[in-house]
Amino acid sequence: MTGDFLAVDRITRSFGGLKAVGGDAGLSFSIGKGAFLGLIGPNGAGKSTVFNLICGVLKPNSGQVILDGTVLSDLTVSEIAARGLGRTFQTPRAFPSLSVLENVLVGADNEGEHVLAALSRRWRARDAELTEKAFDVLARVGLADRAADSVSNLSGGELRMLEVARQLIRDPRILLLDEPTAGVDPNLQRKLSALLAGLHRDGTTMIVVEHNLHFLLEIADRVVVLQSGELLAEGSPGEIKSDARVISAYLGANHAA
Amino acid sequence: MIWAQLLTTVVMFGSVYAVLTLALNLQYARGGMINFGMVAYFAAGAYAYAIVTQAPPEGLDQYLFGFAAPWWAGFLAAGLASLAFAVLTGWPTLRLRGEYLALTTFAFAEVFHSVLLNERRIGNGSVGLSNVERPDVAWTGLDDTIVYAVAALTMMLATAYVFNRILASPYGRVLDAIREDELAAQTVGKKITRIRFEVFLISAIPVGFAGALYAMITTLVSPTLYTAEVTFTVWIALVLGGERTIVGAVLGTMALIFIQESLRVYPFETVRAAQIAASAEEILTGAIFIVMLRWQPFEKLMKKGRPS
Repeated sequence: MTGDFLAVDRITRSFGGLKAVGGDAGLSFSIGKGAFLGLIGPNGAGKSTVFNLICGVLKPNSGQVILDGTVLSDLTVSEIAARGLGRTFQTPRAFPSLSVLENVLVGADNEGEHVLAALSRRWRARDAELTEKAFDVLARVGLADRAADSVSNLSGGELRMLEVARQLIRDPRILLLDEPTAGVDPNLQRKLSALLAGLHRDGTTMIVVEHNLHFLLEIADRVVVLQSGELLAEGSPGEIKSDARVISAYLGANHAA
Repeated sequence: MIWAQLLTTVVMFGSVYAVLTLALNLQYARGGMINFGMVAYFAAGAYAYAIVTQAPPEGLDQYLFGFAAPWWAGFLAAGLASLAFAVLTGWPTLRLRGEYLALTTFAFAEVFHSVLLNERRIGNGSVGLSNVERPDVAWTGLDDTIVYAVAALTMMLATAYVFNRILASPYGRVLDAIREDELAAQTVGKKITRIRFEVFLISAIPVGFAGALYAMITTLVSPTLYTAEVTFTVWIALVLGGERTIVGAVLGTMALIFIQESLRVYPFETVRAAQIAASAEEILTGAIFIVMLRWQPFEKLMKKGRPS
C-alpha cells in the first residue's frame, strides 16, 4: 500500500478493567488514501468504540491513531474534525431547534461564526454560497424537498441521511459512517449505496461500520472483522465471505464449514 | 400625573433590568449556560463607575481610590470591569455544565458581594458610596428622570440590536447547535469552549454599562443594592417573557418591573403599611414565578398562534 492515510496503531481501551478494544497486544489496522474499508463484527465487538477512539471522543489507554502523519491522540474532537475527519453516529444526532437546511449549514465553516464577523455581516456572501452547497448536498441524500422542514418531522432513516449531509458539506478527507443503513428503507438504501460509491470514486476515504453485509460487501474494497475488540480477520470482501472464522462468529459454529 | 411618573420609572428601571435579561437570554436561552451570578457583573459595573468618577478619599472616607474622572470615562470603565470579571469567572467555570455552572456562578457572586461588604477600601463597605457623580443633563431642559429613562431605553435597544444581529447570524446557529448537542457540534469542528467563553464575555459588557447607568440613577452604590435578589428578578423576567426571544426578554422584564413599581406608587399613610406592601411585593413576585413555571401561559399562547 502506498502510505497509510489513517493508521490505527496498537490501540487498547478498557472500561472499568474490562478490555473493550485491543486485548493485550492492541488493535492495529490501516487504510490507504481513497480506500473504502468495511468494519464488521458481532454486537459488542467494539466497532463503535473504535470509531470513538479514532475521532477523539475516547482516548486510547495505549497506542495511537495517525491521520496523514498527524498523531490524533492528543487532539480534541473538534481539532480532529478540523483536520478533515467526519463521522456519523450509531444513533443519529440532530439539532432539533434548527431546520433541516440549518442542520446541514452547521457542518460548514463560516466566518460568521466569529463574533466580530457576525456583527459586520461580512458572512452573508459566504452564507449564500454555502446555502447553495447545502441544497446540493441535500439533493444527494434525497432530502432536497425537506430543507425547510423541522428535523422532528424526519424519520429515523432520514435523520441518518441528514447526518451524512452535515458531514458532506465539509468535504471531509475521511468519513466514518456508523451503521448508515440501519432503519433506512430499501429505496433510500439504494440511494445511499450509489452515494457512497460516488464518494469513493471521487477519492473520499471511508470506513463504514455495517451489519447489512450484502450492502457493505458490495461496495467495500477491504474488510476488517472485529470480535471482542480484537482483529479476527482482514481481507477483500471475497476472502471475508468465505472465511470460516467470520462465518462462525456471525452465524454461530454450526454454520461453519 | 402619578401614571406619567409610574411610566417613567418603569421604562427607566425596566430598561436597565432588561439589559440584564437580554444578557441572560443570550447566555442561557441560546448559549445553554446557567448563570446565577448576574448581579456580580452588574455590581462590578456600578462600583467601577463610582470609583472612577468619585473624588479622592478625604475625611471619614474609607475607600482608597477616587479618580474624579468624567462620567464617560466611568461608563467605559464599567463595561471593562464587567468584562474583566467575566474573564476571571468564566475561564475556570465554563468547562462546567448545568447545575455545576449554576452553583459556581452563584458562589462567585456571593463571594464578590461579601468582598464589597467587608473590604472597606473598595467602596466604604456596608455604607457604600453615596452622591455618585451623574452627568449634568440640565441642557436638555427636561426632568432628570425622563432623561435617564430615555438613556436607559436607548441602551436597552442598542443591546437588543447588537445581540439580535449576533444571534441572527451563523453564530446564533452554531450557538443553538452547541446547546443542543455538544458532541455533534464538535464532530463538525466547532470549538465549543471558545464560543461559550465569547458569549459569556459579550453578554457581560452591556451588563457593566447598565450597572453604571443604575449607579447614576440611584446615586448610591452599596452592597445592599446588589444582592442575589437582582439575579433572581432577572431570571423571573426571562421566564415570564418566554425563553429564546429578544422581544420576550424585554416584555417580561417590563411587565415584572411594572408589577413591582405599581405597588410602590400607592401613597401609604403609615410606615407599617409601606412595610407590608414591600413584603407583599416580594410574595407576589414569587407567586408569579411559580405560576409561570407551572403553567407557562405565554408559551402556550405562542404555540397556539403558530401553525404546527
